[in-house]
Amino acid sequence: MNRYQVRHQSNTWRHKYDLVCVLVARDFKLRYKRSILGIAWSLLVPLAQLVVLYVVFSGMVPLNIPHYTTFLFTGILPWTWLQASLLVSAMTVVDNRDLVKQVGFPLPLLPVVTVLSHLVHFLLALPILAVFLVNDGYRPNASLAALPLIILVQFLFVSSLAYIVATLQVRFRDTQYLLGIALFLFFYLTPVFWDVNAVPEPYHSIMLMNPVAMILDGYRAVLMRGVWPEPFPLLGVAGLSVIVLTLACTAFNLVRHRFVEEL
Amino acid sequence: MGFPIFVKGVGKKYRRYHTDTPGTIHEALLRGFRKLLPAEHFWGLREVNLQISAGKTVGVVGRNGAGKSTLLRLIGGVGRPDEGLIEIEGRIGALLNLGAGFHPEMSGRENILVNGVVGGLTKKEVRERFDTIVEFSELHDFIDSPLRCYSSGMQMRLAFSIAIHSAPKILLIDEVLAVGDVAFQHKCLERIRQLKTGGCTIVMVTHDTGMVQALCEDALWLQGGRVAAYGPTNDVIPRYLAEAETGVWSHSAVK
Repeated sequence: MNRYQVRHQSNTWRHKYDLVCVLVARDFKLRYKRSILGIAWSLLVPLAQLVVLYVVFSGMVPLNIPHYTTFLFTGILPWTWLQASLLVSAMTVVDNRDLVKQVGFPLPLLPVVTVLSHLVHFLLALPILAVFLVNDGYRPNASLAALPLIILVQFLFVSSLAYIVATLQVRFRDTQYLLGIALFLFFYLTPVFWDVNAVPEPYHSIMLMNPVAMILDGYRAVLMRGVWPEPFPLLGVAGLSVIVLTLACTAFNLVRHRFVEEL
Repeated sequence: MGFPIFVKGVGKKYRRYHTDTPGTIHEALLRGFRKLLPAEHFWGLREVNLQISAGKTVGVVGRNGAGKSTLLRLIGGVGRPDEGLIEIEGRIGALLNLGAGFHPEMSGRENILVNGVVGGLTKKEVRERFDTIVEFSELHDFIDSPLRCYSSGMQMRLAFSIAIHSAPKILLIDEVLAVGDVAFQHKCLERIRQLKTGGCTIVMVTHDTGMVQALCEDALWLQGGRVAAYGPTNDVIPRYLAEAETGVWSHSAVK
């Protein structure tokens, strides 16, 4: 039998909440501390991606998607959140050796902190998206109320994968590189710059099974079409994410006591 | 019950891997996953029993590799024992890993907040202690400069000041008192004495037997991961020193 137990520890929830706030704020400050461009820096990469994809798929190989700039940007922003969160999550345990060794530090917070840090960047980019939307004649309606729910679903989905890569990276130091390759390939299989409804069968049905495609369609329904998102795909993604998240957290908790030795 | 620190039959097993254990998915795929399992285990700590009552200070002595730091980490909840149980009552403060979460680009002020919260305080508690921490560290003039402008001594002083002001019920100290100049060391010792009179239970790992004799009622002598002696400082330390003197280390207990 082996057991470790701490009793009479007060305000742990308050403390965890403060920890998350402080660490997210630290990530944020550090990112911009010595950069002249400041916050704009987090927007520069998605904007550059927007320009390139727009030039290629609007001018050179036209896909004929209406309001293509806005279509692209509603895809690029959530994708950037997902991609950056996962790439950084992979390193979050390995790079925070001093926190792993810290007495009383709740390790399971690390991947969540990373996903939340990138959520902040995502939210900061939304005003720019709003400019594109208004420019296209979009007027907000009641369906906008579903936006926070879609963000929540994506948060669950990204977190579930974040725990998996963070756990793997400790033992397998090439996880991050393989993840980079996987994300690079997965980007093309995800309707970020192409429209899933323009895809012929049998690809159409297959592509619709991609959870990220369901999430992106949710964003586009609410933001571009001004309608409520289809509930079942999103609920499916949410349910799947919760299951994977539970399993991934369990795995993380099983091995996290070994992290100190492995680092 | 009622011991702030209760350690019973604790053992910690370390894994020793094959020298060619795959470190990447790539290698694991090429060479098979079988080698991923540890080649052998060895016990870094075995059958350790401790009951430390409130307000007591225990000094842990022993040679390098005797398991002193492992024991301290286990008490702090960093890693889990492979056998036995550890029960802790109350908030633990630790001087094991000073400056966790420090970042050179952030100011002393920002670092106090991050490190304080990482060390177990809430934001509100850090703010309440802020002035005391700064005063203790003697760094008022630099508190808004980025940490990279601090000398390493100044950084340690700041880290120590934060750690020592978390008002813990249990304090774990691992060889960190060698920070700063002599004057600052005295101040640190003074602060530790203060916590002690305030009822804080302290476990300290040190090679300075003089400090153990000055601060600790009890001493724990570890040898090869096992308890060689545990009792009043005045009994244990002379035996430990005598054994060190003769250079005859009985490893029989280890095997």
